[in-house]
Amino acid sequence: MERSIDLGTFVPEPDDDMLICRCEEITKGEIRQAVHDGMFTIEEIRRWLRAGMGLCQGQTCGKLVKGIVAKELKMSPWKIEPATSRAPMRPVEMRIMGNEQLEG
Amino acid sequence: MNRYDVIVVGAGPAGLSAAIEAAKLGLKAIVFDENAKPGGQLFKQIHKFFGSKEHKAKVRGFKIGEELLQEASKNGVEVVLNAIVTGLYMDKEVTVKQDDKIVHYKGDTVIIATGASENMVPFEGWTLPGVIGAGAAQTMMNLHRTRPGEKVLMLGSGNVGLVVSYQLLQAGCEVAALVDAAPRVGGYGVHAAKVARCGVPFYLSHTIIKAEGTDCVTGVTIGEVDSSWKIIPGSEKHFDVDTICLAVGLSPMSQLAKMAGCEMEENPLKGGTVPICDEYGETSVKGIFVAGDVSGIEEASSAMIEGRIAGIAAARSLGYIDEEALKEKSKELEAALGSLRQGMFGPGSKGKEIIQTEEGYEISKSLLTKGYIAEDEIFRYPGVTKKTGLHPVIECSQNIPCNPCQDACRKGCIKIGENITSLPVVDQDSECTGCGLCVASCSGQCIFLVEDGIEEGYSAVTMPYEFLPLPRKGDMGAALDRSGTKVCEAEVLEVRVAKAFDHTNLLTIKVPADMTMKARFYVGQEV
Repeated sequence: MERSIDLGTFVPEPDDDMLICRCEEITKGEIRQAVHDGMFTIEEIRRWLRAGMGLCQGQTCGKLVKGIVAKELKMSPWKIEPATSRAPMRPVEMRIMGNEQLEG
Repeated sequence: MNRYDVIVVGAGPAGLSAAIEAAKLGLKAIVFDENAKPGGQLFKQIHKFFGSKEHKAKVRGFKIGEELLQEASKNGVEVVLNAIVTGLYMDKEVTVKQDDKIVHYKGDTVIIATGASENMVPFEGWTLPGVIGAGAAQTMMNLHRTRPGEKVLMLGSGNVGLVVSYQLLQAGCEVAALVDAAPRVGGYGVHAAKVARCGVPFYLSHTIIKAEGTDCVTGVTIGEVDSSWKIIPGSEKHFDVDTICLAVGLSPMSQLAKMAGCEMEENPLKGGTVPICDEYGETSVKGIFVAGDVSGIEEASSAMIEGRIAGIAAARSLGYIDEEALKEKSKELEAALGSLRQGMFGPGSKGKEIIQTEEGYEISKSLLTKGYIAEDEIFRYPGVTKKTGLHPVIECSQNIPCNPCQDACRKGCIKIGENITSLPVVDQDSECTGCGLCVASCSGQCIFLVEDGIEEGYSAVTMPYEFLPLPRKGDMGAALDRSGTKVCEAEVLEVRVAKAFDHTNLLTIKVPADMTMKARFYVGQEV
C-alpha cells in the first residue's frame, strides 16, 4: 500500500464526537485522527484503536469505519481491504474455549 | 472426530435447502445454527412471496420455513440449534460452540449459508435506545409479538424498509414517515403502494439529521439532500417518534469463508465482501460452497435455489452423482434462478434508472417519489381497464418476477404469458365472477375488483385487507385514495374470509360512483 500519501492537515469536523464503534466506544474523530497518524488499513485501525474489536467484532461498525478511512484517504471504500477473519466468529467465554471436545 | 459428508452452516432458506438436496442424494448432512429457532429470516416473513409456483409464490415466508423444516427432517437432515460455528479450519475442520464446550467436526464438504447482517448509518443520536434495525423490528413483532414502539420513522425504501413499514402498521404502530436519501423508491412499487395508501408519507431525497432524546429516542429531524448528499438548509422537518428503524441494506456475513482461505472479492453489487465462486457456489477452496446472501445479497427465494444447487454440487464433489446428473439436476434450478433475476429489480438492473417497462409503458414517477401511482398515470397499465360491469383492476406497473394472478383466475381473465416479469393484462371480454381469488393471490396487494352502478350513483370496490380487527358488514368509515388521503365516506358491504385467501381478506366497500378509481383503502370511523 502506498504510504506516502499527503493527507493534508487534520481538520476537525463538527460530528467528530459521534460514536462509530459502539462496543469499544470509538468516535469518528478518533478514527479520522488515526488515519492521519498513519493507520491506513482496517487491520491497523483495529490494532491502534480497538474499533471493531469488541463484542460484535465489527459486525455493526465495520462498513462505517471503512467508509471513514476511505474518505480520509480519498479513495473508494471498496479498495480498502477488510479486516482479517479469525476464530472465534462470535464471542465465546474463555472457560468454554478451554473446554474442547474432539468427540461431540 | 464427528464426520459428516456435508456440514452446513446456517439453517436459513439457503442452508436448509442445501442440506435437504444433499441428504436426498444420500449424503450424511448436519446443519448448525446459532439461533434457538431454525429458518433464518423466513419465520419473520409474514408476507406472501413473489415469483411463480416453482418459487413458492403467494406462500407466506414462515410457511415456506415450516415446509423446509419438514422436508429436512423427512430426509434425515440433522439440524442442531444454539450451535455457533466458531471457526472453519484446514481440511474442513469445523469448531462449534455447543452448550459449554467447543466440539470439533469434520466435513468432507462444507456449505456456508450464514446469510447477512444489517447495515447501519451513523447520525447524531444514532446510538440512542430506540434506533434499531428494520430486521430487529421484524424480529420483535413477528417472533416475539412485541411492538418495537408506538410511532416509528423508517429510513430506507428498499423492499425491507417497505415490507417492515407495512408490518409495523399491521402490528398497530404508527409509521410517521418513510425516508430515503435516494431520489427514487428502491423496492417494489407494489410494496410502496400498500404503505402509501395507509397514509404514510414518503420523503425521498431526505435523510436523518439527528435522533432526539437524552435517554431514548423522543423525536427525529430529517432534511432534504441535494445531488451531492448534502443537507439543503431550511429543509429540516421534525417528527415526534419513539423508534427509528434503519433499513439501509445488508452485508454478507462471509467471515467464515475468508477464514477458511477462500479467495474473496469486494463487490458493491453483491453488498460487500464475498467469496468468489463458480456457478454451483463452490469457492476457490475445493469442497467449500456458499449459498444465499453470504455469496451476494438477494432474497429468500433465490437463496433457496442457490442452496439446492450447492447441495447437489456437494454430492457431485463427493462422487454420489456423476457430472451428467449434476448438470441435469442443476439445469432446471438454474432456469428457476434465472427467471427470479429477471425484471427491473434483477441484479442486472441494479443502480440503473428505468423509465419504462419491457413492454414500453412509462414508469410512474409518482410511484418512485411518493410511493403511489398518480391518478393521471394509472390508466397506462394493461391491468387497469375501464368497464361498467364487475372487473379486476390490476395496478401492477413494474416488471417483477411474479405471476400467481394469472393462475388465480379460472376464467382466464388475467394474462401474463411466458415471461413472468411481464405486466398482467386484463382481458376485457372475459367474464369476471367476482370470486376474488386474484385479489388474494397478489403478493403485492395491487389487485382490486370494481363494479359500477351497484345502486344509483354508487360503486363497489373490493380490496385486499390484512389488518385486524376486521371491519364488519354495515360499518361506516372513510375510503382513502392511493396517497392515503380520505376522499369519501364508505360503507362496508362485505368482508370475505376464506382459507383459499390465506389471510388476505377481501373487503368490499360502497363509494360514490366518481370514487371507483380512487378509493383504494378503508379506515373505520374512530369511536
